[in-house]
Amino acid sequence: MLKRKHEESSKREHNPYRRRILFFLLLGWALLLLGDRVSELRVYQGALIAIYALAIGSLILLTGYSGQLSLGQGAFMAIGAYAAALTQIYLQPPIIITFISAVVVAALFGAIIGGGAARLSGPYLAGTTLALALGLPTLANLFSFLGGETGLYFDVGIAPERFGSEFTLYKWFFWIAALATLIMLFFIQNILKSRYGRAWKAGRSNPAAAQLVGLHVGRRKVLAFTISAGVAGLAGALLGMVSLVAPSTFTLSLSFAIITGAVLAGLTSLTGSILGGLVLVIIPEIAEMVSGNFGESEAVRANIPGLITSLLLILTVLFTPNGPAEQWHHHKEKKKQKAVEKQKN
Amino acid sequence: MQQVINVFLIGISIGSIYALMSLALVLVWRSTRVVNFAQAGQAIVTTYVAWEVVNRSGSFLMAFIVAVAIGGLIGGLVESGMMRTLFKHASDGPVASVAPVIATLGLLGVIRALVGLIWTNEGKRFESPVSTAGFVIGDTTLPFSRLNLLIICTAAFVMIVFSIVFQRTNLGLALRAAAYNPEIARLSGVKVAMTRTIGWVFAGAAGAVAGILLSPNDSLTPYSLDVLFVFGFVAAVVGGLESLVGAVVGGLVLGVGLSFITFYLGTSLVFPTAFIVLVVVLLVRPSGLFGVKGARSA
Repeated sequence: MLKRKHEESSKREHNPYRRRILFFLLLGWALLLLGDRVSELRVYQGALIAIYALAIGSLILLTGYSGQLSLGQGAFMAIGAYAAALTQIYLQPPIIITFISAVVVAALFGAIIGGGAARLSGPYLAGTTLALALGLPTLANLFSFLGGETGLYFDVGIAPERFGSEFTLYKWFFWIAALATLIMLFFIQNILKSRYGRAWKAGRSNPAAAQLVGLHVGRRKVLAFTISAGVAGLAGALLGMVSLVAPSTFTLSLSFAIITGAVLAGLTSLTGSILGGLVLVIIPEIAEMVSGNFGESEAVRANIPGLITSLLLILTVLFTPNGPAEQWHHHKEKKKQKAVEKQKN
Repeated sequence: MQQVINVFLIGISIGSIYALMSLALVLVWRSTRVVNFAQAGQAIVTTYVAWEVVNRSGSFLMAFIVAVAIGGLIGGLVESGMMRTLFKHASDGPVASVAPVIATLGLLGVIRALVGLIWTNEGKRFESPVSTAGFVIGDTTLPFSRLNLLIICTAAFVMIVFSIVFQRTNLGLALRAAAYNPEIARLSGVKVAMTRTIGWVFAGAAGAVAGILLSPNDSLTPYSLDVLFVFGFVAAVVGGLESLVGAVVGGLVLGVGLSFITFYLGTSLVFPTAFIVLVVVLLVRPSGLFGVKGARSA
């Protein structure tokens, strides 16, 4: 009985890779069909969800797995966006190259900053990355080629002819964003399930033990920071594509929003990142409805989304610190265990 | 030469505000091992209250007293209401080390949103209680004003009160003992849980003073103290995050340094410099100028 169970589980372990590919392909196909059936605004929001999900994914890798909390994901997003926009303006390469340059440049910055940050723990790292998120956008005013407050325009062009004339610009954005996000999330998912992911978890849970089995915890942390920065850079380039590459896009609130999304999604589950992106886009919608009931006051409209997200953030961290998804999973496991015990008796 | 002295004095004036914020962060860190990211949020509430009091009564002194009292109250409430629950629920698990940071960030968001709902996000003009025109010596007008002098005096007064409390009273002894070794402090009869709350109360009061000193002659919005928080954090790290003296010295050094940079190289370099200072201190001397070694890494 036990042996068969073991075989079953090892069979399941054998092809998680293929199952993951299948899952992502199905998801992509469903999104494709959905993109044709909803209004322009929803398509735009779909692109935003994808972008947020990607940024949240980068934070989940960094915080949930490697245990480093960064409040500066917005800064890396800004670096990626500026890198993509500058590449596009000065070199005009194929569109995919601009996105790759965003990843590479952001990862490079991540490696430099991560080299210092890997030595820091908890609040020190959080404070340092906060200073980065607040300080970096001011650099845009220092160098004239960065465009100052007005920023740069990152032009990815219109959709190729063969998609037909009814293919709108926003749908094109949605396609690029969703595709990039799906590919990247797939990539992150695989890294997290690999020995790197396990090493990060080990370094996070018990650094001394991880070092004892021969893991170089510091170097792994720098690696996590680099990858996370690269992914965030791509998310930033995508955000720059749908809005503007300017300091006003990459504010501290963006960094905070991404943390909120990651915490609500559960910091330790990557699948939650899409849910987190969804929440970040839906909450302003809800807030709009709520503030409609209070009359059209500007103060209410500007502050209700912040109030809702921040309250959710506090409640989540106070009562389900590992995220609602994890909590539910835990609950299910316990139930299963109980059922097994009952059967035994 | 005269100019150098002037820039220096203005640096001391702004630096003493950073020192107060840094002091608040260090007090919280010593009592509960948390960097309170909501410190600027707590200060923004008290600053708005002070603005309201000044508008209604016209008395700056009364506004100051009310703000400090409310700042302390908020600090105590946050500790006993939120942080205790947090430590009870999130004491282990993968995110335990980041949970306090996230919780205080959430608090910052809630406070900002509430302040924005009550007073709107539009900038409020906080009138200065004294003249902001520079002193005149002979026929030259100095950039150093009465307001700067008032800031330095108030900050110095608050710091003197703090050092008397910490060095000369039993309460101060209990606070220092609980920060140094909670276990032994508890065994010798110190109510450690209470000293934690008191640490947060003092921190709230110090943050309130910093907010009310920074805001005169400037526009007040729910976000206007973010910068103060970051500089306070840098100052606290420079000073070692453990040491109250270090926090003050760190704040003053940072204020003077940034003042010279603003004057001779321009405002746009202030943030990059502060960031570089932070990173260099963390890399070269992670325990800060006055800190205990080995406190920084996990």
